[in-house]
Order: sequence, then structure tokens, then C-alpha cells
Amino acid sequence: MEELDGEPTVTLIPGVNSKKHQMCFDWGPGEMLVCETSFNKKEKSEVVPSCPFIYIIRKDVDVYSQVLRKLFNESHGIFVGLQRIEEELTGKSRKSQLVRVSKNYRSVIRACMEEMHQVAIAAKDPASGRQFSSQVSILSAMELIWNLCEILFIEVAPAGPLLLHLLDWVRLHVCEVDSLSADVLGSENPSKHESFWNLPGNTQTLTELELKWQHWHEECERYLQDCTFASNPHLESLCKIMLGDEAALLEQKELLSNWYHFLVTRLLYSNPTVKPIDLQYYAQSSLDLFLGGESSPEPLDNILMAAFEFDIHQVIKECSIALSNWWFVAHLTDLLDHCKLLQSHNLYFGSNMRECLLLEYASGLFAHPSLWQLGVDYFDYCPELGRVSLELHIERIPLNTEQKALKVLRICEQRQMTEQVRSICKILAMKAVRNNRLGSALSWSIRAKDAAFATLVSDRFLRDYCERGCFSDLDLIDNLGPAMMLSDRLTFLGKYREFHRVYGEKRFADAASLLLSLMTSQIAPRSFWMTLLTDALPLLEQKQVIFSAEQTYELMQCLEDLTSGRPVHGGPDTQQCQDDDIETTKVEMLRLALARNLARAIVREGSLEGF
Amino acid sequence: WLACPFQKDTHDAQMDYYGTRLATCSSDRSVKIFDVRNGGQILIADLRGHEGPVWQVAWAHPMYGNILASCSYDRKVIIWREENGTWEKSHEHAGHDSSVNSVCWAPHDYGLILACGSSDGAISLLTYTGEGQWEVKKINNAHTIGCNAVSWAPAVVPGSLIDQPSGQKPNYIKKFASGGCDNLIKLWKEEEDGQWKEEQKLEAHSDWVRDVAWAPSIGLPTSTIASCSQDGRVFIWTCDDASGNTWSPKLLHKFNDVVWHVSWSITANILAVSGGDNKVTLWKESVDGQWVCISDVNKGQGSVSASVTEGQQNEQ
Repeated sequence: MEELDGEPTVTLIPGVNSKKHQMCFDWGPGEMLVCETSFNKKEKSEVVPSCPFIYIIRKDVDVYSQVLRKLFNESHGIFVGLQRIEEELTGKSRKSQLVRVSKNYRSVIRACMEEMHQVAIAAKDPASGRQFSSQVSILSAMELIWNLCEILFIEVAPAGPLLLHLLDWVRLHVCEVDSLSADVLGSENPSKHESFWNLPGNTQTLTELELKWQHWHEECERYLQDCTFASNPHLESLCKIMLGDEAALLEQKELLSNWYHFLVTRLLYSNPTVKPIDLQYYAQSSLDLFLGGESSPEPLDNILMAAFEFDIHQVIKECSIALSNWWFVAHLTDLLDHCKLLQSHNLYFGSNMRECLLLEYASGLFAHPSLWQLGVDYFDYCPELGRVSLELHIERIPLNTEQKALKVLRICEQRQMTEQVRSICKILAMKAVRNNRLGSALSWSIRAKDAAFATLVSDRFLRDYCERGCFSDLDLIDNLGPAMMLSDRLTFLGKYREFHRVYGEKRFADAASLLLSLMTSQIAPRSFWMTLLTDALPLLEQKQVIFSAEQTYELMQCLEDLTSGRPVHGGPDTQQCQDDDIETTKVEMLRLALARNLARAIVREGSLEGF
Repeated sequence: WLACPFQKDTHDAQMDYYGTRLATCSSDRSVKIFDVRNGGQILIADLRGHEGPVWQVAWAHPMYGNILASCSYDRKVIIWREENGTWEKSHEHAGHDSSVNSVCWAPHDYGLILACGSSDGAISLLTYTGEGQWEVKKINNAHTIGCNAVSWAPAVVPGSLIDQPSGQKPNYIKKFASGGCDNLIKLWKEEEDGQWKEEQKLEAHSDWVRDVAWAPSIGLPTSTIASCSQDGRVFIWTCDDASGNTWSPKLLHKFNDVVWHVSWSITANILAVSGGDNKVTLWKESVDGQWVCISDVNKGQGSVSASVTEGQQNEQ
């Protein structure tokens, strides 16, 4: 943003009493600023009772308006469409396409105005009715400004058509019919008027037109000088008006609603073939004459004047100050940028004015629970800082529902924002773990490609199994696929579950080898070995010999590894003693079963060999 | 700007990561948490545990759950946690000899780490190691007389940001800034052995430094820190990372009174300053590198300015 010439606007907070109290604050993600007061003593040991309040201040409150939401939605479509067709905009058709886009924006504003107007009429209480009405006038002003910009900057109407466009512009926005024109049409020389303005055919060149008009103008002057209308003061003043006499026009001030109406009327009669570059002089004097030193120009007047002066930057600057949200300046500036009208204007972040405004607008959208999705597209079309701004904002969207979380993730994944994907998945995974939804936690950590967390969740699964004797979320574990490789613990979990499945299908030999491989390949955590060995027991106790002699030796090795590494528990703790007892019993049982199996295996293998 | 009246008697207030909750702390020793969605103000928790006025609160990153830290005149730092919908005291750190003035969570990439600055001049760093355990590292005499503020630098991975192989943690260079009663701002860096070393000393203030704020990273090679002081000045410090460790201060403004607080918006394009004259001013850097005040938020009598009405408030 450029420097401000004026004082920054002051927002007063309906606070309390004295100037003794300081304010402090914090930023929220949606640019919400929390202001509250505290005391201001240097020594914090003194407690000064303060009585004021905390305020939450939000910018861009418009985001929350129902009617405006339509404006945001529809203009978003136009914006994205414009960015996309940029490459196709070439040659002669370019200008007409850009004008069409401009008209689209304007029709969206008008539609919004209409709806707001309906709401204002239907309003139950006068206060909100007034508020909606003021919104209507703001929208009307926006359309007025945009329309003028379209004529002057986009259409780039040359002398001749320029005044026609301006006439249309004034007619569209002035409530009263141009009663002066009506008068003129009913005057002495209607035919001259009608043929004179028969421009659509456009068979005449500008010079021809000027000559014709000069001729007519001189004729009127002659009539006046000859006092042809002396007898009729009404006709005389009419003639003066037709000659563009300012004084005469001003006498009819009450029929002119504002200075630009006056300006266009004046031009109509005094200089209909006005050139664009001369417009500003007429504009300035019209403004001065109309206001007559009684009142000073309003912000709207300044904006329009800047437009007449073809000072685009000034127009944008004044609009930014006058309007309460960034919608208008962001979209208008973007369109003007496509018209190649903005000089490259480097700002702090290294981005140009168009991008700067779009970033502001998009940031504002992120404050809204659903409009943030529109904001994503705007950031996409900001080449310098769009991506990083999106990264910063998208992480702050509250993930209330799974659906919303998936939406956010999809957006991040489409843009290869891996850091954000990881962070969001981690948040969701942690939340799932805290709510004991282990399956959900696991799938989030897989999506995040977060090995450490996958390990953590897998451990929880295994612990759950040990406690309850069964697995939760079997579907998920059974269908891990290549994701299983994410972490060793996860692989173990998947394989262990496979063991159970295979066992359930009574494919004992396969189950046995799988079980053994889990221990020998070292992917099973040592803490789980006892469980695995215990799982082996039913296989050892089967009628047929399942584990071969070699396999049995390996199992015995594992058991010895496990028991030798165990510290000797001695001590007064009775629970510990009981646990030890259970452990010892288990180990004994295993030793017995393994020994028996070994014997049977040796015999069986010995017999077969002997065959 | 829309303002809605809220609650009385607080020293600090902080929005959570998503802007859905607000934590406040007060001289009445309480820490309160409000649900502020959709313009509402519902008290969720009133946490008691401190024995003195509570100066500051800080929300941890949501991936660690709902965790809030608070620090107080009672020399303690308390970490609160929400479990199954209720807020409880999760940990208490009583390692300081004097009032603890400031707490700040490190970037979530580093883990769950809290920096605490105290009037005893020390800065302590609490790192969560799991199973309810916190490891403490203390920097004694970080600032003579006392430390008033701590602020972490954003996480930046040195070298390229290619996906690290799974399970391997990227080598972050952890840094934070502190401001103290010695009128200095100090930058601290964690060495390879895990010890914290003073890396830089930034001198420009002529009185106690009240607050420091390290700006979020927007991908540019420069680092930016804002500082404010009892001397009424606010400085913006910038360092061009490419060249090394030279920090240059630029005076944002000299206020007529002590400046308490500085804070960056999340995309670091606006700096809010709680300045003298009981105003919060917002600043932006303009084309030519000058800092411009773009808005004043003034506390005072009278009604809210015309652009905001109650109608709009109700519309939410």
C-alpha cells in the first residue's frame, strides 16, 4: 500500500473511564484482534484494579453478510474465469472481452444491490432497514465508480462515443430522468437533434460530426443574439442551456442531482465531442461550480475526479480508504492489470499492487467458515506470495468435521504442500488417539507419511490387543497394503494380524513360519515376544507336528534370549511377585511344549528320512 | 472493525490457533478459557492454581492437543491440558526465584517446548519428553535484573526443504529472542550439544525492553524482529540471512509513553503496537521501506465509529 496522506482512521472502542489504562491485544488467525486493558505501572507488583472489558475486533465484517456472500461467490467465478482466459486474450477481441468481464462484474453488483434493497424493504426494524439501505447506497456507489472506470480505462472510449457512454452512465445512476433532455427534445429544433445523434450507424467521422455540431451551435448563438426568443424568457433560457451556458444550467440545479450529472449535461451542450484528456478540466470546474463553495467534496467525488483525471492509482487508493472491505479494489485492480494499465509498483513483499490487494481480500475470506474456499483460488493467482500466504492460512482453518478436514487436505495435496498435509494429519491423528479411535489415528498417520506416529499408534493397537485379546479396526489393518512399510512397528502389526488370519484359516504351517519369522527378523518388539511365544503354544500342542525341528530350535533360542535378558525380580512388592510367578509358569509351559515338539519333530523327520 | 464487549479485569488474552477459543489471565489469579465461535462468548473453564497475578498465557500447537501455558507473579509456570472435555493442571514448573513474566511455545516442528522468562534474570526451557515428563534447561543470568519477554524464531530447515526420509528428523536450528531489563534484546541459539548460547546482542533501547516479537516467515530470506520498550520506542530489526548475522534496527516510532506489547499478524504484514496514549496502532511497511501507521484503535469514551453498527454484530 502506498503512503497515506491523511490521518489513519481511528476506531473507538466503547471502553470505560480514564486514560490511565493501557491496552494489549493478540492476533487471531482471521485477523481478529483482541483488545483489552491492563494497568500500566512499571512495577508489576502493584495491582491496580482495572475495570474495563475485552473486545474482539474483527475486520471485514462484510464477510458475514448473507447477501454479500452471493457477491463474493459470483465474482469469484468471474475472477477465476478471467485468469484462465488470459492466454487467449489477443488482438482486437481482447478489449471487447475485457469489457464483457467488466460488465459481468457490474451486473453481479447490481444483482446484489437489488437483493439488498428487497431485504431493506422487508426489514422488520427500522435500524436494520437503515443499515441495509446504506449498504445499498454503498453498492450503488461501487457500481457507479466501476462503470466510469470501465468507460474511461477499459472501453477507452474516444472522443465522440465518450460522451454517449457518459450520458448512459449518468442516466443509469441518476434516479430522476434527465428532464432537461426531455425539454430539449421538445424544443424548437427536434429534427436537428434527432439526426445529429443518430450515431449508431457511425457513418460519420468525428470531424464531420464536429462540423455539424459547430454549425448548429453557431445557429443557436445567432438566434440568441438576434433576440429571437426575447419575448419568451423560458425559451431564451432554454437556448442558453443548449449553448452550454453554465449559469443557465446551474439555475436548473434542482433538476441536476449531482455535479457529474451537471458535467455531462454541460458537455452535451457545450462540447459533445470532448476528448478524454480534456475531461478533467470540465470535471473540476463542474465540481467547483456545482458545490459553489457551500460544501466540500465527499470521498465519492474525489474518486470520480481521480477517474476523470485518468489517475488510476489515485482511484484505487481512494477506494481502498473509503470502502470497508477489499472486494472492490481487489477485483477492479486485477481487471485493470489485465488491461495492462498498472505500472509495476514494487512493494515491501516484492509483489505488485494487484497481488497486494488480492492477498488482503483473500486473507479476509479465510475468516469465514465456508468462504475460505474461494480464498484458495485467489491465493493461487498471486505468483509471489500466494503460496506462502495460503500455507499460513490453511493450517488455521478449524477442522470441525472429517469432511472439512478432507477438503482442506485435498487442497494441500493438490498443491504439494507436504508440510501442511503432515501437520494437519498429525493434528487429526492425535485427536483420534485421544478419543481412542485408533483406526482413524492410523489412517491419518499413514496419510501424513509420519513414521514415528504410525509406530506410536501401532504400539497402542498392540497394547490394546494384549489387554483385550482382540484387534479393533481389522478392516484397516488387513488392507494396509504398501502403507505397511511406513514403519517397522506398523509392518509388524500388519504381519501379526496376518498371522491370526492365516491361523484362523487353519493354514497352520504357514502360520507357524510367519510367527517364527516375526521373531527372527527382529521386527517384533522384544516386549511382544512373550505374546508371540504364547501364540505358538496352540501350534505346539496340535496333534500333528507343525514346527519342524529346526524351527523348534529357533523358538527355543528366542525363549532363552528372552529369559536370559530378564532382570531378576526380587523384593517386597507382592504384585511384582505374582507377575513373576505367572511369567515363570508361562516360561515353564513353553519349555515343556517346545521340548515335546522337538522330540516329535525329530522322530517324524528321522522316520521320513529313513524311508 | 467490529468490537464486542467481553470480559473484565485481564492482563493478557490469547486466541488459539484456529481463533475458536480465547484464553485470558488476570490479576485475580485465574486463567479463563472461552469459546468464541460465531461471535459467542461461552466460558468453558476457570482455572485456579496460581497464587499471584497471572501475566501471560500461551496456546500450544493443536497437534499436541489442547494445551495452555500460564506464568505468574507467584514464580510458577503452569501447563494446563484438556482431557476428555475437562481442563486440568498437567504440570507445574517452579524453577524460578522471582516472577515469571513471559511464556512462549516453540514452533511445533521442534516438539513441545516452552520458553519462560523471569524477573530473576533467567530463562528456562521446558521440553516435553513423554509420559507426563518435562525436561528443564535453564539459562541463568540471561538478562541482568530481569527478563520480560521471549519469542521464538519461525522454524526453518537449513538447506533445501526436500522430504526427509521417514523417521528422520530434520536438523532444525532452534533460535529465540528475549528482551530484558538490561535494555537489551538477546538472540539465543541451541548448540549441537543441546546447550543454549547467546548468539547476538541487539542494543538500541535506552530503557527496559518490554516485548519482543519474531515475525512469521513468509519465505523471504530476511528475518525480522520487533521490539518495544519503556523508552517509548519500537524498533524493527532485520537481518539478511544470506550475509550472516548483522541485524539492523529501524525506528518504527517514538511514542510518548511506555510501549507494552508488539505482535505480528499471521502473515507478518501488519504489526500491532500497544503504545502510549492508550492506543493500539497498526503498522505496515510501505514501498520505500518506511513503516506507516494504517489504523488506530483507540480506547475512549463515546460510541463506536459509524462503519460498525449493532445490526452487523447481530447478523453474525
